Amino acid sequence: MSSLLSNQGVPSIINRLRGANNEGVLLLVLVALVLTIGILNPVFFSVSTLFSVLRGAIVPLIFALGVLIVMISGGIDVSFAAIAIFASYTTVVIAQDRGTDPGLIVIILMALFFGVVLGTFNGIVIARFRLPTLIVTLGTMSLFKGLLLAYVGSKYIANLPPSMDSLSTEYVMSIPQEQGTANLNVLVIPVALIAVLVWWILSRTMFGRSIYAIGGDQEAARRAGFPVVRTQLMIYILAGSLAALAGVLHLILGRAANPQDLVGNELDVLAAVVLGGASVFGGRGSVFGTVLGVLLIQIINNSLILAGVPTAWQQTAVGVLLIVGVGIQAISAKRSSKKLVVTKTLQEQS
Amino acid sequence: MSSENTETRTLALANSRLDATVRGLIGRAQGHGSTVRMLVILVASFAFFTALQPAIFLNPVNLQNIAVASPEIGVISIAMMLAMLTGGIDLSLVAIANLSAITITTLYSQLALTDPEAASQAMPFIVLLGIVVGLVAGAFNGFLISRLGITPILATLGTMQIYNGIAIVWTGGSTLYGAPEALTAIGDVGLLNVPSLFIMLLLIAGGVGLFLKSTSLGRKALLLGTNPVAAKYSGINSRNVLMNVYVLGGGLGGLAGILFLVRNPTASAEYGSSYVLLAIVIAVLGGTNPAGGFATVWGVVLATITLQVVFSGFTAMRLSAYEYSLTQGLILIAVMVIDQLSAQRRQNRGLGKRKPLFSRKERNSA
Repeated sequence: MSSLLSNQGVPSIINRLRGANNEGVLLLVLVALVLTIGILNPVFFSVSTLFSVLRGAIVPLIFALGVLIVMISGGIDVSFAAIAIFASYTTVVIAQDRGTDPGLIVIILMALFFGVVLGTFNGIVIARFRLPTLIVTLGTMSLFKGLLLAYVGSKYIANLPPSMDSLSTEYVMSIPQEQGTANLNVLVIPVALIAVLVWWILSRTMFGRSIYAIGGDQEAARRAGFPVVRTQLMIYILAGSLAALAGVLHLILGRAANPQDLVGNELDVLAAVVLGGASVFGGRGSVFGTVLGVLLIQIINNSLILAGVPTAWQQTAVGVLLIVGVGIQAISAKRSSKKLVVTKTLQEQS
Repeated sequence: MSSENTETRTLALANSRLDATVRGLIGRAQGHGSTVRMLVILVASFAFFTALQPAIFLNPVNLQNIAVASPEIGVISIAMMLAMLTGGIDLSLVAIANLSAITITTLYSQLALTDPEAASQAMPFIVLLGIVVGLVAGAFNGFLISRLGITPILATLGTMQIYNGIAIVWTGGSTLYGAPEALTAIGDVGLLNVPSLFIMLLLIAGGVGLFLKSTSLGRKALLLGTNPVAAKYSGINSRNVLMNVYVLGGGLGGLAGILFLVRNPTASAEYGSSYVLLAIVIAVLGGTNPAGGFATVWGVVLATITLQVVFSGFTAMRLSAYEYSLTQGLILIAVMVIDQLSAQRRQNRGLGKRKPLFSRKERNSA
């Protein structure tokens, strides 16, 4: 009990550094991990490692931002990978059928169209019928993937339209190294812009605040006059479009279109968002935390091998990290609720 | 031809006996409509594919295949149903089953290398160890969920990664051979042409049904899922109930691992990767309320068989696995939408009280 009481005097500056969703703690973990890997293997501290981690984070970050929006609203979306591959692969198939390269803008618009359509389907089923989001999106994941493979195509497409293909070797920065050059792909710029855009939507617009309100308490949000059904529909449309965009970027970076791709790797993205401080009960989460979470998972997946950990342990490492992360959150949530009771009773006594 | 006919007839006889038993059980299931509905869907889909492709579909080999393929996913779905019954979910079940199968295979094949005699003597214990692995894995899930208070979906998402990761490290990503021959031999036996695997599924389902209906823990789990707050105030130790439910689920997962080996004497970390989704589809289709409180074991068993019937029907009609995946998703969403619409209609008629379909806050406070 005494330890709980002494906590009352914690300076507010520490609380501020910690961040609303423990972003500060996550940042510390990330720095510690980077330092540990770097000390175990100095090769890690190089520009090329940094660039390859950033390149690897491009697609997961866009996915994660979509998942974040859904999670803040109190839902869980696992259909994003299926939407991404459906939208991007179908777009490439259509472009191939026409024979001419429609240009990057048309390709992205086409993919976004499919993303909006599939996202709308998710949104209608979830918002109109008030069904559990995890199970609905598990169902639509299976549905979208089945539609794609059965009716659009199941072939691996090796040659993308030139406008997409050329982008994979456009660099925003090239730094010569001892061996070859370290290149930073140009796609990090649009991804950074999208992250800022999502931050702006979430924190500066009425729509963004209503996402938090719905996630905090749906019934309260409804009574306060938020258009719950319309907002939910918009959330899933937005998540669908983000997923479609991520799908196109994934094809560009991979320089091929494989319809069997992406689906099955959803868990890394979910883990990143949860580690980033978003609550599965909704109402909490931030873009900054999500960026940190994605980087953390990326470093584990790409660079743990540099620290001498075999790749076979990657999956276990992500699992352990997820359990530790949410475990700490759960315990501190429990403790703070107890603390509230303790301080209340103490106040009553005095 | 005539022998095939008699075989079909005996199967049909066994089927009708089974139906009678099931119907008897339904009668006692407090007027729960989902089992009856599931039975109607099963009969309808059976009739549908029989009408379309009688020669292929009614072939005894095909019927046997349905009966042999159902049990492993059936047991996993029953375990999934138990977790959903308390308002949770268990994504780690397939990983647990694989871990159990890998443990049994590794231990047995290593012992058989040095001393085949001792290996065959120790076989029952090694097989039991598979269940122990499941119980331990389930206990870890239960610890995270009931003691630390981690949300079931996140806890089991993490442990799924961990268990599956351990399996990958252990097997090096390859498929293991050398499961106990005795297990495979059991799989070849049958009673009245009903494969032993299918009988095992019925026994396990019966056991879990009895557990839910007649044990204090089972009743508590049901109450906890229906209304966590009421359960708390009626003095139910929800932490212990949750713990036990996840341990039991893990044990069933371990049992499913044994069924994997009975059906197919190989073990790998990758086996049954599509089963996680399938188990959720089956549990919901079988009348389990994902928010907790409602579930019937026999509904889940019937849903398992129905999906196998649809799958083999699709194969008989030369439709692809992709079209099956599509149908699975459609069925899941359609069933939930229909359930929700009929619940709304009941509510409008004023027959049923308003009950939130998926109240996260309530579950969290449990």
